[in-house]
Amino acid sequence: MKKDTLILSFESSCDETSVAVIKNGKEILSNIIATQIKSHQRFGGVVPEVASRHHVEEITICIQMAMDEAEVDYDDLDAVAVTYGPGLVGSLLIGIMAAKTVAFAHDLPLIKSNHLAGHIYSAKFVTDLEYPFMALLVSGGHTELVYVKAPGEFETLGDTRDDAVGEAYDKIGRVLGINYPAGKEVDRLAGIGQDTFNFPRAMVQEDNLDFSFSGLKSAFINTVHHADQVHEELSKEDLAASFQGAVLDILANKTFRAIKTHPVKQLVVAGGVAANQGLRSRLASEIAKRNDDIELVFPPLRLCGDNAAMIGAIAQIQYDKKDFADLTVNADPSLDF
Amino acid sequence: MKILAFDTSNKPLTVAVVEDGKCLARMDSSEEKTHSVSLLPDIQESLEKSGLNVSDIDRIAVAAGPGSYTGVRIAVTVAKTLAFTLAKPLVGISSLRLLAANGTDGKLIVAVEDARNDNAFAGAYIDKSGEVVNVIEDQHIAMDQLFEKLGNYPEEQVEFVNVSEHLAELIQDAMPKASVVLTKDSLPDSVKLAQIAENTEPVKDINAFVPTYLRLTQAEHDWIKKGHKEDGNISYVEEI
Repeated sequence: MKKDTLILSFESSCDETSVAVIKNGKEILSNIIATQIKSHQRFGGVVPEVASRHHVEEITICIQMAMDEAEVDYDDLDAVAVTYGPGLVGSLLIGIMAAKTVAFAHDLPLIKSNHLAGHIYSAKFVTDLEYPFMALLVSGGHTELVYVKAPGEFETLGDTRDDAVGEAYDKIGRVLGINYPAGKEVDRLAGIGQDTFNFPRAMVQEDNLDFSFSGLKSAFINTVHHADQVHEELSKEDLAASFQGAVLDILANKTFRAIKTHPVKQLVVAGGVAANQGLRSRLASEIAKRNDDIELVFPPLRLCGDNAAMIGAIAQIQYDKKDFADLTVNADPSLDF
Repeated sequence: MKILAFDTSNKPLTVAVVEDGKCLARMDSSEEKTHSVSLLPDIQESLEKSGLNVSDIDRIAVAAGPGSYTGVRIAVTVAKTLAFTLAKPLVGISSLRLLAANGTDGKLIVAVEDARNDNAFAGAYIDKSGEVVNVIEDQHIAMDQLFEKLGNYPEEQVEFVNVSEHLAELIQDAMPKASVVLTKDSLPDSVKLAQIAENTEPVKDINAFVPTYLRLTQAEHDWIKKGHKEDGNISYVEEI
């Protein structure tokens, strides 16, 4: 029988310090996440220097908790994995330096993993993946359609031309007086309101798989500012529903366009915006309507945000391919596939 | 006692393995290396040259700042994680105290790091028969204020170390009789760091060990200026 593989994984690319112990790339023995949201809410968004400082405060506490909760010792581990990009350079460096140190101290192989790949492989904790599959990656930093041909082999089919979808939520949230991160509250309001404003659906007519959200964001902000000037009160719920309606139309349009040209059996939706209830039900109903034989895979809510468990999942594939890094690993803030 | 000591607070990178005050191996670089890339390979090589395994080390010593925020964080994160994961004692030493070790005995040694816009991180130390005493606390300070604080001391007794070319000009104007040791002639020395650390109490709580920044971030500074107060009861970071 094949021996189990235990990977200690690190993720610190933005404002969450996370350390996990993952068994065979699909079983979570521990997944400690320390979030800095309350700190950055003071400033209305993530401040990179503040984030870096918090990571140093939390890092060894998270390692300790992850090892304790998993009830493992360093001798039990097979490898150490870490996110090396994309993300905030100062934040990435804390996880990288800590992971390199643990790997060096205990003579363990080191694996450097792509944060985006990690998000996609969070699906591994839900179901067995069948290749090829499609991934819609939606978060505060990314909006991408990724075709996953084989384990760890990615092809980006579409990307955002301007804002990431989660970033657009935060920006229009600010106009509605909602603090960062605004996605959850906008989603809630959208569930109550009606799509009455007919905001533009950018690029849905275009024959490509790229996204654009800045026009939608501007239309939204202009609508609210104009109403303010003429002292007209607009319904927050309807504004949210109209914004989200446009976002979902864009995401659904491009996703199913991609599936048409690249047939797959599974659609994985990952990243912070994958927690959006509107998106979840919209994609499910589109699949039902189309009568497509596609399994829709959403990671559990806890694994939609940044976490180290997902890094353990992608790292297992790299471990099996013996794709190891050395102690010179550096942060790559604009890493892509 | 075998000590692994390193500093990446500013441009130089220095790593040493020291046993009972004697250097077994050291690696230094003064040009701009990428500390995040070089630090662990340099630690590894220093240990290999010493014929030691990392687990043979009795104590870890690190320069804890002030300095470049990112630079200090790199060394502190490695030191803290190493001490934590191997359960070894950890000693943090002021990066200015370490630079002051490059000064002349008997002088009032003012270690400075250029913090731009005529500001510096600065601290003053006197070596009294082998015992170094801190006489002006490490701080982020405007150079003209620093000169004012030094007004009580005979100018010719004052020695500035780790001086950038720009700070040298300011010192020349304000305190022409003070001596000046330029940065290139006062590189941080990890062997001295190990020696200082040997006689310093290790930190009690490794998890709580963080860099000495001596400055709030701009965002926090602005936030407090708007009238907000730190609320000791609020934990800004939460486990979820």
